[in-house]
Amino acid sequence: MRVGVTNLRVKYAGASELLFNDLTLHIEKGEKVLLLGPSGCGKSTLLQVLSGLIPAAVPVPMKVEEKMIPESTGYVFQDPDAQFCMPYVDEEMAFVLENRAIPRSEMKGLINTYLDKVGLHFDDPHVEIATLSQGMKQRLAIASVLSLEPDVLYLDEPTALLDPEGTKDVWETIKKIDDDQTMVIVEHKVDHVIDFVDRVVLFDDSGTILADSDPETILSFYKHKMKEFGIWYPGIWKEHEHGLKRETKNALSVMTIEDLKGFKGKKCLVELPEAVIHEGEWIVITGENGAGKSSLLLSIMQVLKTTGDVHVDGKALHSIKEAREKLAFVFQNPEFQFVTNSVYDELAYSMSEDVQNRVTTWLQNYELLNHQHQHPYQLSTGQKRKLSVGTALFGNQRILLLDEPTFGQDAKNTFKLLEYFEDLRSKGITIMMVTHDPNIVETYATREWIISKGRRVSDRNVNRGEEAVVHAVDS
Amino acid sequence: MKRLKLSDILITIVIALVFGIIYKLWGPVYNLVKPFGLHVGDIVYGMWFIAGTVAMLILRKPGVALLAETAAASGEFLVGSEYGLSVLLYGIVQGLGTELVFALFRYKRYTAFVAALSGIAAAAGSLIMDVAYGYILDLALWNLLLLISARVLGGILIAGIFAYFLVEALEKTGVTSLVRPASHEDFKALDK
Amino acid sequence: MQLTLDYNETWLHRMNPAFKLVFFLFLFLGLLFIHNPNIITYVTLLPLILVAFFTGHKRKLLLILMIPFLLLFVSSSSSMIFFGQGTTTWWKWGLIHITEESFYRGLHIGFRALNFALLGLIFALTTRPVLLFYSLTQQLKVPPRFAYSFMAAVRILPMMVEEFQQLKNALLVRGVKKEKGWKRITQSITLYAVPLLSQSIRRAHRIAVAMESKQFHNGKRTYYYETRLSKFDGLFVLYIVLGVVTMVWLGLEVPTYEITDVRNSD
Ligand SMILES: Nc1ncnc2c1ncn2[C@@H]1O[C@H](COP(=O)(O)OP(=O)(O)OP(=O)(O)O)[C@@H](O)[C@H]1O
Ligand SMILES: Nc1ncnc2c1ncn2[C@@H]1O[C@H](COP(=O)(O)OP(=O)(O)OP(=O)(O)O)[C@@H](O)[C@H]1O
Ligand SMILES: [Mg+2]
Ligand SMILES: [Mg+2]
Repeated sequence: MRVGVTNLRVKYAGASELLFNDLTLHIEKGEKVLLLGPSGCGKSTLLQVLSGLIPAAVPVPMKVEEKMIPESTGYVFQDPDAQFCMPYVDEEMAFVLENRAIPRSEMKGLINTYLDKVGLHFDDPHVEIATLSQGMKQRLAIASVLSLEPDVLYLDEPTALLDPEGTKDVWETIKKIDDDQTMVIVEHKVDHVIDFVDRVVLFDDSGTILADSDPETILSFYKHKMKEFGIWYPGIWKEHEHGLKRETKNALSVMTIEDLKGFKGKKCLVELPEAVIHEGEWIVITGENGAGKSSLLLSIMQVLKTTGDVHVDGKALHSIKEAREKLAFVFQNPEFQFVTNSVYDELAYSMSEDVQNRVTTWLQNYELLNHQHQHPYQLSTGQKRKLSVGTALFGNQRILLLDEPTFGQDAKNTFKLLEYFEDLRSKGITIMMVTHDPNIVETYATREWIISKGRRVSDRNVNRGEEAVVHAVDS
Repeated sequence: MKRLKLSDILITIVIALVFGIIYKLWGPVYNLVKPFGLHVGDIVYGMWFIAGTVAMLILRKPGVALLAETAAASGEFLVGSEYGLSVLLYGIVQGLGTELVFALFRYKRYTAFVAALSGIAAAAGSLIMDVAYGYILDLALWNLLLLISARVLGGILIAGIFAYFLVEALEKTGVTSLVRPASHEDFKALDK
Repeated sequence: MQLTLDYNETWLHRMNPAFKLVFFLFLFLGLLFIHNPNIITYVTLLPLILVAFFTGHKRKLLLILMIPFLLLFVSSSSSMIFFGQGTTTWWKWGLIHITEESFYRGLHIGFRALNFALLGLIFALTTRPVLLFYSLTQQLKVPPRFAYSFMAAVRILPMMVEEFQQLKNALLVRGVKKEKGWKRITQSITLYAVPLLSQSIRRAHRIAVAMESKQFHNGKRTYYYETRLSKFDGLFVLYIVLGVVTMVWLGLEVPTYEITDVRNSD
């Protein structure tokens, strides 16, 4: 069995250039291939072509001299919520078995077998999918795809939204799948997969193949290319040269929080008894999926219903409107903060002076200039995230609240954003940022909060790179 | 003829269910604006035809309007519409009306004008059902005429013009490129 | 619709959903052939009893759900009462012309609408959509493409509620200025309706793609839930038949109104 395309060309409607220009890629049976490339180079698109979804299900204009698409394919998507069609776990698993016309009497047993394979254990699998955590949902997605017994398995950033624990679990799960399973993988968190794959295909930002070889060769001979195009590789954080300014400004408090509680309906999602936040601090908020990190930022921003006090510059915040004056905010889900119909307008929105100049510079800097007329929804995952962060940076707020601003980003953009935040920070801006990336904590944070089950369980000052000093712990 | 793909069906049904919920909420609205039987309030009746037109303008394939309107009615029924199963029968007939107009233009024209016509046809469908269901032929003539004109006007305004502009706004978000075949220019660009 | 409402299962829940649907459809059509207001008034008791005692939902919820029914009763009967044709005039004032015939016809329409409403409510409160669609494919041979699309679509709706919340917050955070007057309406459509619809279409598309990638097709398939007819279906038929016979008898023997046919005789 082989998957492949010869001389593939793809062009999105309205795009100015071809996405792939005569791309050829062949994959042998049993191979595990990792596609690596900068954000927006076409990895997701290529996976969809190789699995036959383009053009059968998604009408994107494409041309190919020769293609071999396997008959049965399993596809795990990045967004856990967009891949289930049934409300309950057992029903979702059964859906695949029904498609394969497995007799009803065997279904219950098979459902449990496949759920076991991915480490999901329920007494009774009749559990509502909506109640599962993101990581569990993603494992369910893998289980249902495995029950297809597919010729080829396609994985498109299956762990982008997961905490480190969940990421590890999911990859452990995948690694346990039979040895002769063919897999095509897209993943930015390379550390987890590089030892597992047999082959790495490296793309540049225009979707041309730079290199195609085994991981050792790629890592030893193409590192400079990966650096040049800003692609993740193991150990990149150690080599990351940051212009970190060590001296933190003399601590002037800018925000105080007292007895803050955030509610959804009657349920208290998160609480923070007290906190004093200073100018020039970079607080990184970590914790597992569903711990309440987003809820905390949303409470500070007065988006959730809250009790307690948040004071900024001595002024109490009561509504989103007041909070907006003082705090810039980036939501976890980028898609819901777009309010206009084009990338350009999105940045220009609510900007008043020197608009054209500032927007164009930003677009150029973050490599979105070619996409400026596109609708924000038509961007790749990483591009959407970049844009949504961009929209929050043009105000003159002194405090930034950022909810996972770097997920789905390639190395280049991650570092560019972090450097930019650092620059702002050194000018006295305060940053509060949710992330799942331990490297960011280690390198950039000046303070770390760990959230668990809706409470802050740890608050420590981080002396960047040096020995951390625990400074206060709430029980 | 272009067969409906799974994604066409699913999208149609999602659009339909969204409107199905609006249909359900629209019941009290309608009952409030037509107090004591003056049929001027029937202008808002056009909302109950909108799913068919919107879905058809987006997907542009045979059968979509009928499916959408039927599905919207089923959705309305499933959330407990006060009109019960009758909405299903109404939905089918109204959907047929909408479908018929687009079929007359051989599924080639999707202008505001055609949309307005489809609104009229759906209104006609609903009136046919009313004859069987609500004894409307027993109304005083002037009242009956008022009913018919309000119904038709509502069909034109809401299910026709409004639906058209709604879909136009949706097109700007690029979502329609998911369901419509690519243009010849784009295919030509592949050969450069 | 049974998403996460809190309820007890009753025998109405155990009926075969497709059978229930078809049988209800016949009941609806049957109601159209009743022209005697006495009968329809009595018949209304039948669904009312079921709603009140056998749907397994809380009384409070039931009462809330029935509020619109009153409005419906008034609005559906009023136009016929005030403007219908008839010969025995009771009251005339300007355009309003209430006659004996139009009054009872209006009442009749009101009761019929109430029957429809109650039956619809029974169905909605006692049917799980997933089982309905399974049953539709098995008993009525509805193509799986349609049935499963319905099930998937039903899943998307609650997500939209969540998304609406998010969108509302995002707009507040981005500082969208509210327009005044008519512009407010167009603004809320472009700011709310369009993104929500657009996103749900995208999500629907993604789910359809996911379903297809899971080899969903229209060919031979097996079913996780097998839906069959059971004694509960028989019970329901029995209830309706006996009930209708009793009510018709009551309507004929113990009439409450003088008119026995609301159709216009000329
Ligand atoms: N529907 C669309 N219409 C127009 N252009 C699109 C559409 N979808 C994607 N693109 C463009 O095609 C390019 C490739 O997108 P794709 O999603 O394949 O990138 P990717 O390599 O997966 O990126 P990421 O790592 O950020 O997920 C991007 O530049 C994107 O802007
Ligand atoms: N709208 C809601 N209604 C009810 N519960 C909610 C709602 N939103 C979040 N929750 C619950 O609140 C808890 C905290 O959610 P939150 O989104 O803040 O977690 P998080 O730490 O940001 O997780 P992630 O890393 O996955 O983004 C979760 O257990 C979640 O189930
Ligand atoms: Mg991608
Ligand atoms: Mg979060």
